[in-house]
Amino acid sequence: MANNKSKSVTFEKITKIFRDPQSKQDVTAVNEVSFRLEPGELVTLLGPSGCGKSTILRMLSGFEQPTSGKIFIGDNDVTFTPPNKRDTAMVFQSYGLFPHMDVFNNVAYGLRLRKVPENEIAEKVQRFLEMVGLGTMGKRPPSRLSGGQQQRVALARSLIVEPSVLLLDEPLSNLDALLREQMRVEIRRLQKSLGITAMYVTHDRVEAMSLSDRIIVMKSGNIIQVGTPSDIYRDPVDTFVSGFVGKVAFFPCEVKGIENNSCVVDIKGKIFTAPRYSDKLKVGDKALVMARPESLSIGEAGSGVEDGVVTANIYLGNSVETWVKTDLGNVLVQIDNPDVKKIWDEGEKVSLSFDPTLTKVLVDDLEKV
Amino acid sequence: MNKRFINFLLTMLFVVLVGAWIYTSVRDEFLKQSRTAQRRTVETVAAGYPEPEDVDEWLKRLADEATEYKVALVSEIPMPGEKLNETPKGDSDLAKLTESSATDPEFSKGFDNAAYEEIYRASKNWTVGTKEEQAIFFAPAVSLKTHDIEGALVFAFNTDGEQGFMRMINTLFFGAFILFAVVIWQLMMSRDPIVGFALAGLFLMTLVFVAYPLFEALRLSFIENGKFSLSIWKTILNSEGYMSALWGSLKLGCWTATFSTLVGFLFAFVVARTNAPCKKLISTMGVLPVISPPFSLTLSIILLFGNNGLITRWLRVVGLNFSIYGLPGLVIVQTMGMFPIAFLTLSGVLQAIDSTYEEASLNLSASRFKTFSSITLPLAIPGLLSAWLLVFTTSLADFANPLLLAGDLRVLSLESYIEVTGMNRLGHGAALSILLLLPTLTAFLAQRFWVAKRSYVTVTGKPSGRITELTTPLVRRILTGIIFTIVFILILLYGTIFAGCFVKNWGIDYTFSLENITEAITRSKDALFDTVTLAAIATPIAGITAMIAALLIVRRKFHGKRLLEMLLMTPFALPGTLVGISYILAFNHAPIILVGTAAIIIINYVIRELPVGIEGGIASLRQIDPSIEEAATDLGADQATVFKTVVLPLVRPAFLSSLSYTFVRSMTAVSAVIFLISARWYHLTVLIYNFSENLRFGLASVLSTVLIIIVFGAFGIMRLLVRENANLTKSVN
Repeated sequence: MANNKSKSVTFEKITKIFRDPQSKQDVTAVNEVSFRLEPGELVTLLGPSGCGKSTILRMLSGFEQPTSGKIFIGDNDVTFTPPNKRDTAMVFQSYGLFPHMDVFNNVAYGLRLRKVPENEIAEKVQRFLEMVGLGTMGKRPPSRLSGGQQQRVALARSLIVEPSVLLLDEPLSNLDALLREQMRVEIRRLQKSLGITAMYVTHDRVEAMSLSDRIIVMKSGNIIQVGTPSDIYRDPVDTFVSGFVGKVAFFPCEVKGIENNSCVVDIKGKIFTAPRYSDKLKVGDKALVMARPESLSIGEAGSGVEDGVVTANIYLGNSVETWVKTDLGNVLVQIDNPDVKKIWDEGEKVSLSFDPTLTKVLVDDLEKV
Repeated sequence: MNKRFINFLLTMLFVVLVGAWIYTSVRDEFLKQSRTAQRRTVETVAAGYPEPEDVDEWLKRLADEATEYKVALVSEIPMPGEKLNETPKGDSDLAKLTESSATDPEFSKGFDNAAYEEIYRASKNWTVGTKEEQAIFFAPAVSLKTHDIEGALVFAFNTDGEQGFMRMINTLFFGAFILFAVVIWQLMMSRDPIVGFALAGLFLMTLVFVAYPLFEALRLSFIENGKFSLSIWKTILNSEGYMSALWGSLKLGCWTATFSTLVGFLFAFVVARTNAPCKKLISTMGVLPVISPPFSLTLSIILLFGNNGLITRWLRVVGLNFSIYGLPGLVIVQTMGMFPIAFLTLSGVLQAIDSTYEEASLNLSASRFKTFSSITLPLAIPGLLSAWLLVFTTSLADFANPLLLAGDLRVLSLESYIEVTGMNRLGHGAALSILLLLPTLTAFLAQRFWVAKRSYVTVTGKPSGRITELTTPLVRRILTGIIFTIVFILILLYGTIFAGCFVKNWGIDYTFSLENITEAITRSKDALFDTVTLAAIATPIAGITAMIAALLIVRRKFHGKRLLEMLLMTPFALPGTLVGISYILAFNHAPIILVGTAAIIIINYVIRELPVGIEGGIASLRQIDPSIEEAATDLGADQATVFKTVVLPLVRPAFLSSLSYTFVRSMTAVSAVIFLISARWYHLTVLIYNFSENLRFGLASVLSTVLIIIVFGAFGIMRLLVRENANLTKSVN
């Protein structure tokens, strides 16, 4: 439900090279990155710190200039447009509220720059403050607001100028867990109801999963995978992505056959058929079976693919997380509905098995990571 | 990128072509005008060629009356390539030239033209006698009666005006070209041209007003009679007088620094580390002298202990004879005036030392004295060193106090002043003040790169809430006793100045009188107005420039940042006398002539007070989240709007203190300004000096009091304004 103002964003082979002031060496922060945001879409850039995701956001907002490549907002080439001439609005990690202005004037700032008549400003600011649930806070200085309220002011300040693209730079990282969940819902609701194109940067996979239409996973300046949250979770392209977007266990295996869009593997003599597999795999390759905690189960020692010892049980109400120490490392098993299932005691010898329909076979690139 | 570069080159090519066209047409037009005028003069003069018997008198009259040209007469026009038969008459230099160059093709052509009754202008310029670049004209000397050609007249025109004009348009066009190139470059190549212009402006400012004068001063100290020579430095380094001045400066600096550090530490320790009473008064009195105008403490010392001083007279009655003039008096006055520097530095250091260390020591059953000597003092040693060095450099650069109190003691700052104003030996003055720079610079660098690195505490830390009592009541009583004595003396000194206003003739006639006040006000009206005007103009310029520079240094990456920072900060380490001397050296000749104008004084204020403002701006900007400014930019504000609506309000406290600092320092400037004042633009402090020199202590007291009131008033207003927004500063941090 994109409104008519929201625009697409296109990155064309964008490279950004920084010069490290200490070592005087060039560092490639972003390496020939291309992607496209459809109008009205919320796309998250997800990756560990230093992967170049913030640099991409800052290039889109205009605070950094790409070393090469082109950036388009809609059909306009904005590669060299200064930030104040771009139709983007950014919500900063540290909010960047003007401490010398009250909430009302913070939100009104962008409108004043656009020479909107003062009576219109008053009406519009009030409307947006109410939209973010701060209708009565107009006269307060930002320093007298809680973190979540400050975040809402920052959001209202960005949204009120009706930008073509909304940029959010880890906006929730300074909030506590509960507020973060609330704000996540809030941001998604506002973005959808205004139909605004948004780019969201985070290193928090839960945030990325719960907010995004699509996720772009990045690592050391390169895009590793682009896809919907469920694509990324269930069908990661490599061990890095699978590990970054959720807990995971890898079981070494050998590829026995690839047929009918599924992959037959051998783990310690047991044969499984996985519905998803990396297309780089050939018959005879050593590979890894990736299994999520919820697809793992625990049985008597010797019954599964890998034996181990239970080291901890963490009770979470709707599930129990059981840690099992194996030769492959510590593996997390999620047992849902724990009240009707068997929970193994700490120290018990157990064996792990998995539901092959939920797994994916990946190229064994763990050494390289 | 490349396309834009080519665009730039094309634009510049266009500018150069248009510029060259305008330049040549302006130049040709001017030369044509000036040559037509010269030709017309030649025609008129030649037409007045008299009868043969009157020729000698005519030539003599011309030589006497004509200022812009000289004339010589060749009575017999020679054949081409032949020498003259006889020496030409008229101007002897020109005659000599004509005789020696008669066979030159240009002269031959000139004679030839004259023979055909034509006026000819030589296509090049000649040197006539000692005068270079003279335009030579040839005209026929025609008898009025017979219309016969009786010879050739040779004219030499002075082309100084022409040359000057050419130089001027050359400079003008070159400057305009550079300016154009910079502006176009910024507009075409950079995304925020405003930042580019600001940077270009700062670089230009520092190069012209910091680097260039210093270079000129250094250059002049190596020049004797227009040639490179080491003679000035040889004279100075071999002269016992100058070396004793260097020694005097160092001695004075060491004593003052040592005493000031001691007193400053005492004040700082009592305020920061004990529960002594009246701490507020102590810290106020501990800062007061640093902002009080120059001469005021000296003046009151003279009033009390001078040759005719109040106390001197009493002591003389008792049979004690002494003179306050000289090293001891100077050390006392400088210590009184400069211990606040040590106090401010050290109270920052002591406050930043966490009481927990001392508690830990006491907890391990060390005695209080042991704790002080093994914990507090060692932690404060880097602070003590940097306080010492800071006072040392200030004392060395001090000019006002020695001016009145030095007596027989010779110090460098004074010596260079005497060289320049008394002996008119600018080169010597420059060399001496450069000599003064060496210890100052050494101390400055030692502080910056050696002491600062050894510091255990950062002075910016917040004062800790608790104080561990390190003194026994007895010790505390002794310490506060000493402090109150010093405070009492300070109050007494200021009181003396105030009393001096109302006494008819200090030292002789102590009857109450208001005469001094009325006389001082009438005589100082203009100077007071000048002083306030100049300071008021310099203040906003320095304040805004400092904030812009701080913003660029903190927030921007650009080439030459270190160089710019260095150039901006250099004036902080320069003794005022050096700045003053280098300014009169650099700006009393082309291309920039400013001596005698208000501009040179204002520029001097701005340049000298910028470093403190910039430091303050940098410190406060470092505490402001850059995303606040980015948020404004992102919402559509350009650089200028961001500066106006976000940066300036946020650095308000630093901005205000930079403003008041500049204002106060400009109001109380002496050392540099004494070289730069002129009959038109005078300074109050110099007037105070003049009155004191002439023993008009009453007038000096009145003016000092006026200055003190203005200065304290400015500080009071500043503090009120800063406090008004105290909430803001907290929320920014």
